[in-house]
Amino acid sequence: MNSPKVRIAARDLRLEYRDEARGEHHLAVEKLSLDVRENEFLCVVGPSGCGKSTLISAIAGFLKPVAGELTLDGKRIEGPGADRGVVFQEYALLPWMTVLDNVALGPKLKGVPKTERHERARHYLAMANLSDAALKFPHELSGGMKQRTAVARTLANEPQVMLMDEPFAAIDAQTRMTLQEELLRIWSKSRITVLFVTHSVEEACFLGDRVAILTPGPGRVKEIVDVPIARDRRNWATLGADPEFARIRDYVLASVRGVDGKAA
Amino acid sequence: MKLSNAIGLLPFAAALTAWAILPLYVDYPSYMLPPLPDVWTHLLEALADGTLAGHVANSLGRLALGFAVGTGIAIPLGIAIALNRHVADTLKPLLTFLQSIAGIAWVPLAIIWFGIGIGSVVFVIANTIFFATLYNTVIGVQAIPQALHRAVRSLGGKGLSLASVLILPGALVQLIVGFRTAMAYGWRALVAAEMIAGTNGLGYMTIEAVQWYRTETVLLGMIAIGLIWLVMDRLIFEPIERVTVRRWGIVQR
Repeated sequence: MNSPKVRIAARDLRLEYRDEARGEHHLAVEKLSLDVRENEFLCVVGPSGCGKSTLISAIAGFLKPVAGELTLDGKRIEGPGADRGVVFQEYALLPWMTVLDNVALGPKLKGVPKTERHERARHYLAMANLSDAALKFPHELSGGMKQRTAVARTLANEPQVMLMDEPFAAIDAQTRMTLQEELLRIWSKSRITVLFVTHSVEEACFLGDRVAILTPGPGRVKEIVDVPIARDRRNWATLGADPEFARIRDYVLASVRGVDGKAA
Repeated sequence: MKLSNAIGLLPFAAALTAWAILPLYVDYPSYMLPPLPDVWTHLLEALADGTLAGHVANSLGRLALGFAVGTGIAIPLGIAIALNRHVADTLKPLLTFLQSIAGIAWVPLAIIWFGIGIGSVVFVIANTIFFATLYNTVIGVQAIPQALHRAVRSLGGKGLSLASVLILPGALVQLIVGFRTAMAYGWRALVAAEMIAGTNGLGYMTIEAVQWYRTETVLLGMIAIGLIWLVMDRLIFEPIERVTVRRWGIVQR
């Protein structure tokens, strides 16, 4: 079998972030190596402080690695770009734009004419079940609707990779489960490469083709676990009581907590 | 008229009533506080011969000109200071130094440079509005959340497109709230500057009346100054806030 194509490759990555308030540098990630394969849904889990959000920042191009290599399709990542769409925990919708204009923002920045970009935005809004909210302003939406808007905005820009930084962390538990199912439904239609960072093991196992587990800070990849559960079974009604899902989840949880006997 | 608006008229009514009945209980020379009917008569005269309208038009014209000049310089400079550390490091001490010299303190120098008249007055207003707007622009740009910067940049925004999509509208949020304060400062500075360096306008009208002990003109001028601001606030700034920052859910009241 051919090995799948690698989109994002991190090799012996060292990342530091600056604590602006104290003016100190903190080591977030050290000797981290990870491959994100084409069209896979890869989740990254780890305890808080393991540098998983910093890793997303570096791949998005907001933060330069101190050491190591970080590439997209073999080319070194030099800065932010429309080829890597980002979904943030805090939604990051522009408050002075309607939902429609927010979703059409990427095409607008590329110079796509108004009718065309609105058409494209409406297509992705329909995909995210947000057609009725098109002319609302972000503050009129619930948290779940805001995050669906943010996902639609990212997809409407047709990136090669979607980076998601704890997107559902600020959302209540019931809505979060619906959003996870929604995300998979939307993703099944576009099938782009996704890197999804979360501190929730359950979320990671529900969404991912693979789950990468990071050690406590400074983060390294401890192990990568396959989630061989068919895509058509990925809904909470089915997996909630599924023994295989429970087995994988418990395994990952033990590994994250460091009670699996393996060295970190 | 809504009840909340009507209630706001009560203190005015109380003040007018007190003014009207005060002479019945207290004995004082009428030049200190002329009776209400005298001021009313004077208002009708000043409206009929067009002098009041002339002064008001002159003052408002200067305010508009001062606003255009002040904000026209302050907004681009404020964005540069907020975005570029070198510009900020270079200019901040100078601007802090200048900020402490209140707009009205420039009047003597303005008279030497521009003479008595419109030039000096506009200079002082522009100066006042410039500092209020500059401060708000810097705050406005710096208050744009980092996540919004990152979102727009990873959607492909950079340089001019970043400025037009994010920086300007983001700063506008603070500026729209700030315009109100800037204009209030500007309006006050205008009246003061007209008193010293004007040849017409509401400030000039009131100070000139002092020479003839025309207290009713002084009072008329003061009432006009307050009333015009009240109307501008209700008819210009409130509606602007309503269709922008309040609609966007940024300011809630």
